[in-house]
Amino acid sequence: MNLKTTFVIMAFCLFLLGISFRGRGPGPGVTYVTLSLPDSLPKPAYDFSKNPLTKEGIALGRYLFYDPKLSRDSSVSCGFCHQQVAAFGHFDHALAHGVYGRLGKRSVPTLFNLIWQKDFMWDGGVNHLDVQPMSPIIAENEMDMPLNELVERLKCNEKYQQLFKAAYGTEEVTSQRMFKALVQFMATMISFDSRYDSVKRGAPGVAFTAEEAGGYTTFRQKCAGCHKEPFFTDFSARNNGLPYSPNMNDMGRMRITNNTGDYMKFKVPSLRNVLVSAPYMHDGRFFDIFQVFAMYDHGQEKGNTVDPLVRDMKLSPKEQRQLYMFLNTLTDKHFLKNEAYSEVMIED
Amino acid sequence: MNRLLLFFSLLIGKAALSQSVTLTLTHEVNHQAMRANKTYYTAQGDTFTITKFKYYLSNFSFTDELGQVLTLSPEYFLVSEDSIASKKIVLTGLPLGRFKAISFMIGVDSIMNCTGAQSGALDPVYGMFWTWNSGYIMAKLEGTSPASRLPGHALQFHIGGYRGAHQSQRIVQLPVPFEVSAEKTAAINLVADAGTWFNGPNPIRFSETAGFMTPGMIGDRIADNYSHMFSIKMK
Repeated sequence: MNLKTTFVIMAFCLFLLGISFRGRGPGPGVTYVTLSLPDSLPKPAYDFSKNPLTKEGIALGRYLFYDPKLSRDSSVSCGFCHQQVAAFGHFDHALAHGVYGRLGKRSVPTLFNLIWQKDFMWDGGVNHLDVQPMSPIIAENEMDMPLNELVERLKCNEKYQQLFKAAYGTEEVTSQRMFKALVQFMATMISFDSRYDSVKRGAPGVAFTAEEAGGYTTFRQKCAGCHKEPFFTDFSARNNGLPYSPNMNDMGRMRITNNTGDYMKFKVPSLRNVLVSAPYMHDGRFFDIFQVFAMYDHGQEKGNTVDPLVRDMKLSPKEQRQLYMFLNTLTDKHFLKNEAYSEVMIED
Repeated sequence: MNRLLLFFSLLIGKAALSQSVTLTLTHEVNHQAMRANKTYYTAQGDTFTITKFKYYLSNFSFTDELGQVLTLSPEYFLVSEDSIASKKIVLTGLPLGRFKAISFMIGVDSIMNCTGAQSGALDPVYGMFWTWNSGYIMAKLEGTSPASRLPGHALQFHIGGYRGAHQSQRIVQLPVPFEVSAEKTAAINLVADAGTWFNGPNPIRFSETAGFMTPGMIGDRIADNYSHMFSIKMK
């Protein structure tokens, strides 16, 4: 036995392996993409080995994201609710709304830095980024589109035949390929380029003003326990003392766990881009960040699931003003204007 | 080189010799054949019909005559009353020899419940996946009963939940002697009796419970009930 024959046999085995994996991974001739992320960040929770990023996969995902054909009456796309100007939240809308004017029950969460997030939705009910888009697609008051019908619709579409072939090597449309492509596009939505980030990495000539620095001090004292740097969320679900709203009857994570200990617990949202992504809270009840400050200062509900970290919090007018100035440094203008995320023209 | 060739031919030879077993599933209700629009009774005296009956089977393993357990590589099967093809499951990768028991899971294990978008039998297009609280529906039975207070007197039981207090996967073990030989494919006839869903250790009255579609206590009880639904039919 010599090295050469061993090599030939190994190559043959790899060839067989290649055949058995055909149709699962990226197609031939794709251009692989590596996300450029700041070195200081932890490893993403999303496992890219099962969905390697490619230029073609991202392009397919972006087309899907902006295509209203993903909804029953072809009126609502993902991008309809998740708008780039609002950090992929819904500008000026308290509640999500869907096909035939149907109204949702919760506000639209922003979309960025999703690959570090382990569960999704306001109540953490969705356990994987791959299966997250299924929720709004199927929900009656959102896109109301049965998955099997959607797959049929895309199969018959020439543009998708081209896009799927480019990304996966064959025209075959499956729900798995569709979801993985949507994730590819959403995975590129990375926001770590705000003024705060420039200050933190010591970019020349950038520093907090006295007001911003004061706000950062207040933030670290009173907010950072839940809105943890660098993501400005710890990804947990907590009760922040927001009063229960009888007409919405939404008890948050308790709906998922059936555990009264989870009464009124909602996912802690990131504060990055917070000033461009009003309205606030799971039901979008506050259109102004100062209403949120006022809630923490004197509008909290008492209750045994209210988080000890925010109980009886006080925010003086000066602290509120300075906090506002600090939160303003978390707006990532490059993210909000990046053309790689902008709406694409859907051709049919 | 020769030794290596011998090794590979042994591998290939072994693969060719390793045989399969075919499981054929028959659906019954209280020992009668399952038919659309036929009326059945629960032990509590409620009448009902079945319009939809489907469930996942996975994690197959076999016990040989010496008591050694052989676990097959993971495969998932969605069995549905309305699909003849789904009621025939071919399992491959068994070694030659005599076996005395078969074991499998009704449902999808927790690992597969949190590994993202799947294809094949686990493709969510089959309507066996919850989107608001991620996870597979392990088994689904729909129909009607005059006792049901749901609109249209509907029965809707979607049994799921894979974590915490509400795990609805159930392992079934059935003694059955069979032989895997090079000459002929072993065949096992499995009967699934949907009557067990509402009888057994946790009786269900449709006037109280006509549907259940979240992880929870009632789902767990029905899963306990239907963990007894399978039996072997000898020919």
